[in-house]
Amino acid sequence: MGKNPGRQAKTAGRVSVEKGEPAPGPEPARPKVQRRPIWSGAISIGLVNVPVRVFSMIRDVSFSFRLLHKADGQPLKYERVCTRDGVVVPWEETVKGYEVRKDEYVVFEKSELAAIAPESDRIIRIDKFVHYLSLDPIYFDTPYILAPDRSHAAYALLLTAFQELSQAGVGKITLRTKEYPVVIHPYRGGLVMTTLRYAEEVTAPGSLEDLSVLPAPTGKELDLARRIITDLTGDFDIHEYHDSYGERVTGLIEKKLAGETVHAEPPKKAEAKELMAALEETLAQLPHQ
Amino acid sequence: MERAVPGLTRVTFTNLEKVLYRDQGITKAKVIEYYIRIAPRILPFLKDRPVVLNRFPEGIDRQGFYEKDAPGGTPEWVEIFTRYSETADRDVHYIVCNTLDTLLWLANLAALEINIPLSRTISYDTPDMVFLDLDPEPPLRFPDVTRIAMLLREHLISIGLYCYVKTSGKKGIHAVIPVLPEYTFRQTRDFAHRIGREIAAMDSLVVSEFPHSRDPGTVFVDYLQNARGKTMICPYSLRAVSGAPASTPVTWDELGGGATPEGYNILNVPSRKENPWAKILEDRQKLPEEYL
Repeated sequence: MGKNPGRQAKTAGRVSVEKGEPAPGPEPARPKVQRRPIWSGAISIGLVNVPVRVFSMIRDVSFSFRLLHKADGQPLKYERVCTRDGVVVPWEETVKGYEVRKDEYVVFEKSELAAIAPESDRIIRIDKFVHYLSLDPIYFDTPYILAPDRSHAAYALLLTAFQELSQAGVGKITLRTKEYPVVIHPYRGGLVMTTLRYAEEVTAPGSLEDLSVLPAPTGKELDLARRIITDLTGDFDIHEYHDSYGERVTGLIEKKLAGETVHAEPPKKAEAKELMAALEETLAQLPHQ
Repeated sequence: MERAVPGLTRVTFTNLEKVLYRDQGITKAKVIEYYIRIAPRILPFLKDRPVVLNRFPEGIDRQGFYEKDAPGGTPEWVEIFTRYSETADRDVHYIVCNTLDTLLWLANLAALEINIPLSRTISYDTPDMVFLDLDPEPPLRFPDVTRIAMLLREHLISIGLYCYVKTSGKKGIHAVIPVLPEYTFRQTRDFAHRIGREIAAMDSLVVSEFPHSRDPGTVFVDYLQNARGKTMICPYSLRAVSGAPASTPVTWDELGGGATPEGYNILNVPSRKENPWAKILEDRQKLPEEYL
């Protein structure tokens, strides 16, 4: 079947049943993306394996600025500096330490940590199926796109079954060196896997001191609040929100580009070497400097 | 950013791949390399002479700028010579390029053209060079100005003086008579002006007076740079014109053999065998009594 992926993909794309998805908003037309997967393996449900590749779904569009030296506009780099003598320490001379008390560390060699690292068996193990909307969104961390890996028919079957049953599968995956709970659910023509936070990573609001004792509102106040909320009730559309700071930064960048910009000059080692060789020859010729 | 190997130079080279001569794709790295290689020859002419720079940080196609004062950020190891300038009507802090490091720093500033005065800091008001700038106006070209230079040479020999020539790097020829620093600029200027008049009397192409300096089909013997604070393009300085020519000292044989300004440039001047001005500063002459 791997010989005709185009046709298989078309089959999957034709599936039009879209049940159990939370209010999909209008989606602007985008070209089909073909990127590098960050992980590949298989969804394992009981005895069935569906090979998939994992693609990132979130693009970080926030602005990151590079720190430059004010005097000459050159990029700065970070170095590992010993806090005692200020000497730059090479990677080979570092170990990891876990701070048990202030300034007191339990030291680990890299091999010791490697020995206990979770083994990635390249399996997304699905333990059970739940209704997607029953999941508490507080636990949602990062969504990824699951794409078929060679076996398009198996993927299409799984996607269709998920859609028809309005179900989501929960289980776990090992990405890099960490094990995550995940939920897999159908979303706009594909399967999406979202990593979840562990329960202990989430703080309950009620544990905050300010929230432990709250006065009861009066009936009049409550009526007013209800009216305001009712007036402002509507449908959620994420497109109503824009990153106005980002837009201002973009505008500023465009202005700067039209005028003066600080140019970063990537080091050109070869050129400098030639200059240094010429310099050595010249220094040898000159009487003394 | 490139940091030099400690011990070789104190200069930090920047923007090395910036193209300064677009036609030939000559980068700042190549310009710096030129000044490194030419250093043994150019430094004697820069020694003790406060320089004036023509800088072209954006390349020769963009407006450069003329700089007399040491710019902000001048390293503390660069020698400075402070002198009142009549033209600027204030104290000017000139750069004196007495070391290789200073030369490299100038090159890194994209100071393509380095101009020197005709006197040194120790005897600033008494020049040690008389400078005659032979400047042809179209349709005259380099062979015409070459012929006038030959005429000048013969005339000077007839009054007991020997002059040295270099290409200006542009259209003209620069003739220099090294002299003992015992004359005022007024005297050297008058002397140069008189020589110009004498040459003009010998050849109808030559003009000696400034109002005629731009007359078509003439060679003006420019004597006006013989003044305090005025400058000449330094021997071996690059010029900010396409092809990166250098103002190059040439032998009379080379000049008679069809030398061209473009023929002496960033690519071939550093490897030149001839060094016609090697002894010029040891050949300081006295001007004839009857000309003073």
